[in-house]
Amino acid sequence: MNVEDLLTSIDALGPEFETLIATFGDEDEQGIRNAQAQYLGKTGKLSEAMKSISKLPPADRPKVGERVNRVKTLVGKLVEDRLTAKAAAAAKKDLSRSVDVTLPSRPVPRGSLHLLTQVQQEAVQIFAELGFVVAEGPQIETDWNTFEALGMHKDHPARDMQDTFYVSEEIVLRTHTSPVQIRTMLTQAPPIRIVAPGRVYRRDDDPTHSPMFTQIEGLAVDEGISFADLKGVLIHFVSRFFKKDLTVRLRPSYFPFVEPGAEVDMQCSFCGGSGCRLCKGSGWIEIGGAGVVDPVVLAHCNVDSEKYTGFAFGMGIERMAMLRHGVNDIKYYYEGDVRFLEQFAAGGGK
Amino acid sequence: MKVLWSWLLELCDFDKQPTVEEGAKALTRAGLEVDGLTNLGAAFSGVVVAEVVGKKPHPGSDKLTLVDVITSRGGAPTQVVCGAPNVPEPGRKVLWAQIGAVLPAGEGKTITLASKPVKGIESPGMLCAEDELGLGEDHGGIVVLDEDDPTPLGAPAQQALGLADWMIELGTPANRGDVLGHVGVARELCAMLRGRVVLPDADVTPFLTAGGAPVVVAVANPAECPRYTARLIDGVAIGPAKGQLARKIAQRLRAVGVRSISNVVDVTNYVLFELGQPLHAFDAPLLTSGTIAISSAKDGEKLTTLDKIERTLIPGDLLIRDGDVGIALAGVMGGLATEVTNHTTRVLLESASFNPVQIRRTARRLGLHSEASHRFERRVDPEIAAFASARACKLICEVAGGKVVGDVVDSYPGAAPIPTIPVRLPRVRMVTGVQLEATTCKDALERLGFGVTITGDVLDVTRPSARADVEREIDVIEEILRVVGYEHVPSTLPTLRQAPGVRELDRGDAVRLALSAAGLAEAITFGFQSVERNEALCLSATDRRSQPIALRNPMSADQAVMRTSLVPNLLAAITRNQSYGRPDVALFEVGSVFLRRGEGLTERPSHELADEPTHCAGVFAGKRAAQIGEGTAWDVFDAKAYAERAIRAVCGSVAIKTRARHDVPYLHPGVAGELVVHVGGNDVVIGVFGEVHPQTRAKLGVTGAAFAFDLDLSRLPIAQPAQMSVIPKFPASTRDVSLLLGEAIPAARISDVIDEVREPLVTRVRLLEDYRDAKLGDAMKSMLWSIEYRSPGRTLTVEEVDKAHDAIVSRLVERLPAQRR
Repeated sequence: MNVEDLLTSIDALGPEFETLIATFGDEDEQGIRNAQAQYLGKTGKLSEAMKSISKLPPADRPKVGERVNRVKTLVGKLVEDRLTAKAAAAAKKDLSRSVDVTLPSRPVPRGSLHLLTQVQQEAVQIFAELGFVVAEGPQIETDWNTFEALGMHKDHPARDMQDTFYVSEEIVLRTHTSPVQIRTMLTQAPPIRIVAPGRVYRRDDDPTHSPMFTQIEGLAVDEGISFADLKGVLIHFVSRFFKKDLTVRLRPSYFPFVEPGAEVDMQCSFCGGSGCRLCKGSGWIEIGGAGVVDPVVLAHCNVDSEKYTGFAFGMGIERMAMLRHGVNDIKYYYEGDVRFLEQFAAGGGK
Repeated sequence: MKVLWSWLLELCDFDKQPTVEEGAKALTRAGLEVDGLTNLGAAFSGVVVAEVVGKKPHPGSDKLTLVDVITSRGGAPTQVVCGAPNVPEPGRKVLWAQIGAVLPAGEGKTITLASKPVKGIESPGMLCAEDELGLGEDHGGIVVLDEDDPTPLGAPAQQALGLADWMIELGTPANRGDVLGHVGVARELCAMLRGRVVLPDADVTPFLTAGGAPVVVAVANPAECPRYTARLIDGVAIGPAKGQLARKIAQRLRAVGVRSISNVVDVTNYVLFELGQPLHAFDAPLLTSGTIAISSAKDGEKLTTLDKIERTLIPGDLLIRDGDVGIALAGVMGGLATEVTNHTTRVLLESASFNPVQIRRTARRLGLHSEASHRFERRVDPEIAAFASARACKLICEVAGGKVVGDVVDSYPGAAPIPTIPVRLPRVRMVTGVQLEATTCKDALERLGFGVTITGDVLDVTRPSARADVEREIDVIEEILRVVGYEHVPSTLPTLRQAPGVRELDRGDAVRLALSAAGLAEAITFGFQSVERNEALCLSATDRRSQPIALRNPMSADQAVMRTSLVPNLLAAITRNQSYGRPDVALFEVGSVFLRRGEGLTERPSHELADEPTHCAGVFAGKRAAQIGEGTAWDVFDAKAYAERAIRAVCGSVAIKTRARHDVPYLHPGVAGELVVHVGGNDVVIGVFGEVHPQTRAKLGVTGAAFAFDLDLSRLPIAQPAQMSVIPKFPASTRDVSLLLGEAIPAARISDVIDEVREPLVTRVRLLEDYRDAKLGDAMKSMLWSIEYRSPGRTLTVEEVDKAHDAIVSRLVERLPAQRR
């Protein structure tokens, strides 16, 4: 083939390609790409043309090369134009779509932590910031851990304060989390700082008392621990938990395992102390008991009460949740009523 | 304990008398919790004391009387219509509710009186009966004051009725027997407000008559009865409370919740509430032996107590005996046979003290809690026995006549010596956190009646005899702090001397967080349940969960046994929600279950505690929420998915295997499985999941299908911190295989066989299709699996992938068996 013929045939490839790709619809991207490959691919028509260059005299070679490149550019441009037009059309079509976004959202299953779990975890967290670690004990306890070691022998009138469920003569359902104090001190030397959350049981059933409820107990035993430290820890806790500056009033009271012993009242979180229905006009709300650990308890646990002192406190989780969340009957906590549970899902009620 | 404010004030001497509010606050600071503060006269107003000056029948009714009353001497009479049968003769005082008076109308409501005609005659108010003032049930007639009533005309009726007063309801600490009488409370009030206690008049001299000892007192064991006094009063006239003093006594008793019985019995009750010393009056002529013996009961000995119940006694119960015959259950209740009656003229008065522990045992065993036993259980100071006796003798003679015969018979070896307690000032400061001075401590203690001498940094303290609860240095420190005031304690935070100990992940909390975040609602149910609820699990008798730990004293049958599984309570919650019209339920609980220790049913010694593993269970019923319309129903794979999620919350990305189970009694035999995790070289069954057995559902009242899982979280290994694996640089190749195989071959078997080949290039196995059709052949199914191959170091060649895949396919075909499709 002479050079002129070759050039003519190369030039013809442009219009030929143009005709070819016109046969493919805009949606047939694959057809266009295949056509492009027929011309520009390794074994495509233009590559074949290029291969023939080697057979030409050197003087003619640049001319042929230039023509091949021109057609290659043309083919490339034709393909690109077709595809761009297609993409633009597709984009335009896509943007014409419309969805009724006011339809309900697709539900992500929305679970919830029980309110008591939330309150307990938060309480534990607040005490953790002060260096208290969680300790636990069994709910079915010995009489000794529950009462005797805490200074309540069998004939002690203080046992009247806690009507007990018995499994046997010496085994009870713990009436408070205080046996965890005993278990901890028997297995760990001071310094001790624990919080013990857990379920406890008393024979009591009315709108504010449930036969099972949840306490959180705190115990700190170390050199130099005082009643003033107890007060500080309780004020910190109450303010953090209710998220406002509240003070705490300690009122002398009697628990056989603490001395000095106290009832813990907090400034009413609702009225701030001026008196309202929640606090029955007193400005104070009772939230638990506390005191300096009685030397008898330390002695039962082989802790040197001359060297070490400690404080302990106990509060009701249900009561704190009632105060903060307005729960008006303790029974709701234990019924598994989804109408109650879902109100305390993360992010609030339905 | 109920305390009357006027009574308290009578026992105190203050420079400036506190108001009742100040008094209540002071008692609260002292540790006597004020549970209530009641204005006794608040029930009515506008009722005054009026004198009848004339009366005549109502012209329109023979049941009505027209009564002329005056409210000031020489004042103009007013005519009031009265329907009562007991309108007194002129000169007696009645209670006139004038126009505008506010009277109780029951259930917290009140009525306000207006002038209105009664059978044609206008009546400006009314004369009141007790019930109309809210004082009692008595509607037999209007209140007529005694002839000697000193209340001035026109004074509020409250004054005449002893209602111009406050009742304070106190919570008293269990260790403070000394505050179970007004004088003890007065002591606290005086300590807090710097007053002085004034003991009531107990001078019997004016009523004394000579006579020998009426009885001999023989105490068998002074430890059980440290003191016993007896005194004879002769010539009393027992009857209803009459006269100013008896009336005051009866009114005060009523205010503290005690019914008036007779003048003499009222006095014994009065002194009990005044001094905290229980007393007992015997009808003296019925005591014939001349000896009062105090000794333990014999086994099976009987005594009929004042409440007419025959009590069977055991050794230890302490009896007061007339010679050998039991006449009273010491410290608890008197005997019926020697009770004083309106015919009694000679009274033998007992004032004694008993061992608190023994009284408590007897009272508890007999379920007989009296005002006396309540006090004796909390210790009555032997020192006050004779004083209380004298006080009561005096009052009896004053209200019932009579003379006190001879001296008190007093069996009392003497007060136990009161030890001195050394109290170290630095210790006081350390424990309280307050920098107290020795003189401050001394002042505080002296206000409570303690004796104090200061020597350097040590206070030598002696307690008053009534305060036997104060034995140790720490007890004294509490007393000091009480008087100083807890409110003066500064607030500090304890110094952290050591980093908190390490605590492993709380499995329960990890699972709670994971499941609630994944869409389940957490429930908390009771640790106990009914026997029936446990039986709903249909467990075999060899399963230790079928033998729950029973409570000895449950409050109801619903709470009779400890739960051995979380599932029944949760299924019951489904039932409850269904009854509330909420059938779509997906709940979980994390909590302890209580199992008898040891496998099997071997009888264990009762002192062994239970196993309390933490379980997590979930239940599903109804449908999940849909975007629009009805959602799809929960099914067994939801139960499985959440169970796996719970396991992974603790164990991380551990492999979890499933095996079908046909023998879980509370799960459907064809729709249940167990989840297995490989722990420390062993396959450990963590729990089960499945469709709830129809039988279990029926027993618990669940309507429609329900699904459940139950996991023992205590078996789960806690994941180590996850380690990053290299992100693959080279592409994976995937090959699919379609198998025709027997319907009974579980999916898990295919993955097991693939695992057996141990082909290292396999990185992922997925099931694409599980297809069942009769056309496939009898009991056959078709499964399409996709296996991904990848090498971390290079791109695999087609040949390598094909070779590995062919090996796996041949193994599947051979081992399952299966045909390649």
